[in-house]
Amino acid sequence: MRKYFAVFTMQIINNLAYPGDFLGRSISIGIFLFIFAGLWKTTFTIAGTDSINGLTFANMMWYLMMAETIELGRPRINRIISEQVKNGEVAYILSKPYNFVLYHFSFGLGDGVMRIIVNLIVGLGVTWILAGPPPTALGWAMALVTMIFAWILHFCMMALIGLAAFLVEETNSFELIYQKLVFILGGMLLPLDMFPVWLQQIARLLPFPYMMYAPARLFVKPDFDLFWQMLAGQLIWVGILVFALSVAYRGSEKMLTVNGG
Amino acid sequence: MSAIEVTNIHKTFQTKRKAAGLRASTRALFKPEYSTVDAVRKLSFQMEAGEVLGFIGPNGAGKSTTIKMLTGILHPTDGEAKVLGYVPWKERQKLAFHIGTVFGQRPQLWYHLPAIDTFTLFGKIYELDDRETQKRIDFLCEAFEIRDLLETPVRKLSLGQRMRCEVAASLLHRPKLILLDEPSIGLDVVAKQHIRDAIRRMNQEEGVGVLLTSHDAGDLEALCKRVIIVNHGQIVYEDKVSNLKRKHLTTKLVEVRYAQEVPADFHLDGVEILKVGRYGVKLRFDTNQTPVDTVMSHLSNVGELVDITISDPPLEEVIAKVYKEGPA
Repeated sequence: MRKYFAVFTMQIINNLAYPGDFLGRSISIGIFLFIFAGLWKTTFTIAGTDSINGLTFANMMWYLMMAETIELGRPRINRIISEQVKNGEVAYILSKPYNFVLYHFSFGLGDGVMRIIVNLIVGLGVTWILAGPPPTALGWAMALVTMIFAWILHFCMMALIGLAAFLVEETNSFELIYQKLVFILGGMLLPLDMFPVWLQQIARLLPFPYMMYAPARLFVKPDFDLFWQMLAGQLIWVGILVFALSVAYRGSEKMLTVNGG
Repeated sequence: MSAIEVTNIHKTFQTKRKAAGLRASTRALFKPEYSTVDAVRKLSFQMEAGEVLGFIGPNGAGKSTTIKMLTGILHPTDGEAKVLGYVPWKERQKLAFHIGTVFGQRPQLWYHLPAIDTFTLFGKIYELDDRETQKRIDFLCEAFEIRDLLETPVRKLSLGQRMRCEVAASLLHRPKLILLDEPSIGLDVVAKQHIRDAIRRMNQEEGVGVLLTSHDAGDLEALCKRVIIVNHGQIVYEDKVSNLKRKHLTTKLVEVRYAQEVPADFHLDGVEILKVGRYGVKLRFDTNQTPVDTVMSHLSNVGELVDITISDPPLEEVIAKVYKEGPA
């Protein structure tokens, strides 16, 4: 475990090498929140109501902040793997005594933790100004727990897409499709509560709500029933995806061709 | 015990083929055409523990592919190999503790951080304890003369400085064998010399085996006792470097200067005259056909010699000749 922890800290140090660039990237969450604040304010005014399907303007804003934090902090492992396959760097990663997938997990976590912390700080400040004080401590607790599993689920999906790079090298298009699924069925753009019931039911059978909706919704409206449901769903999907990932990894290892040299 | 044993290893790649232009690209979308390339063809060789073996060949000869199979990154299409007793593609992780790798064209040091950070990270990855890592870093600093470079971000180092750090990093865990894929590529003469000296020293002091691919004959001369020359995925030559020179370095270049003018019709049997100047002559001959002695006495008969230079053609030419002659 020590080696994986070392990779994790190394990537944190790496992020600190360019603090300006790193902080610059966190501006985007502020911009998103600002735009959506305007959008939601207009929506609520036109609808002439304080809450839509049980969610107030403040709820919507804090929901969005949490969802954006997760989206911006999710690992970009597929891009890194396809870059490494294309430029041949994968040869080094594979010729060291560690597990390829766990290496990328630690590496991605180093990035993720840094981005999530910075985005939470910026998001907290901006949302507080736009929509008033944040949710309760219980909301924070439930969000943080489900966020960990959400991050693991994102990692598994991105790693599965990344392993496709061993075969097809370029994986951006898969990521794009995946991202749109999370946007809609994961409840990133709109909380699932806004959807018709049949669509909510379909979405809950898929892994996407557990990656985005779960922490964001529990954050703004903590609820023990929903918490256990979501946690159970997350654990089931972690099991399925970890299994899929290990099978895919063993298969793709043999397919790898390393460019150049 | 042999460090490396390779028997009939074969690697075939499939590549998509596509003619130029839009129409061909569209056709390739629906009906892709594949061509198979045999990057490595039934290669067999051995390497002893502690040996420095040169693996030489032109671009695309299959050198890197062979190295990648020996580290376990690529699965061969056919054939067997054992590296330090492990089958690389089956026991890659176990093998990884005992070998070091440098792929000259790609960095393994973290680009934005000082090399020292990568060194300590590698210490943990190879499961060394911190004190051991520190001792090892001190030793490598001295051997590779990199102490002053360790705290500079890698991106700010020159290529030569970076390569010294790269090779040093691959030796951190005291591997029994290092595989160096083009370690001197792109380096200037001095930087090459630096790297070679350090590698030679590590081989002599620690007995680390070195398998070195290169297309620079200088690496060969400076480091290797034995050489394997590959072309088109096959071994075309395998012998001691000294034998390579003896058997194939048979032509001599001679330049002479005389005290008086050289006759315009200067000529010698069995000797190719390259240039006749007013006071000097440049010529080439094959020692198997014309003995050195004969040429020398002829030359001194012509007139009073002021200066004479005899040289061998560069090893590169010799190797190029071996490529052309094909498998021995």
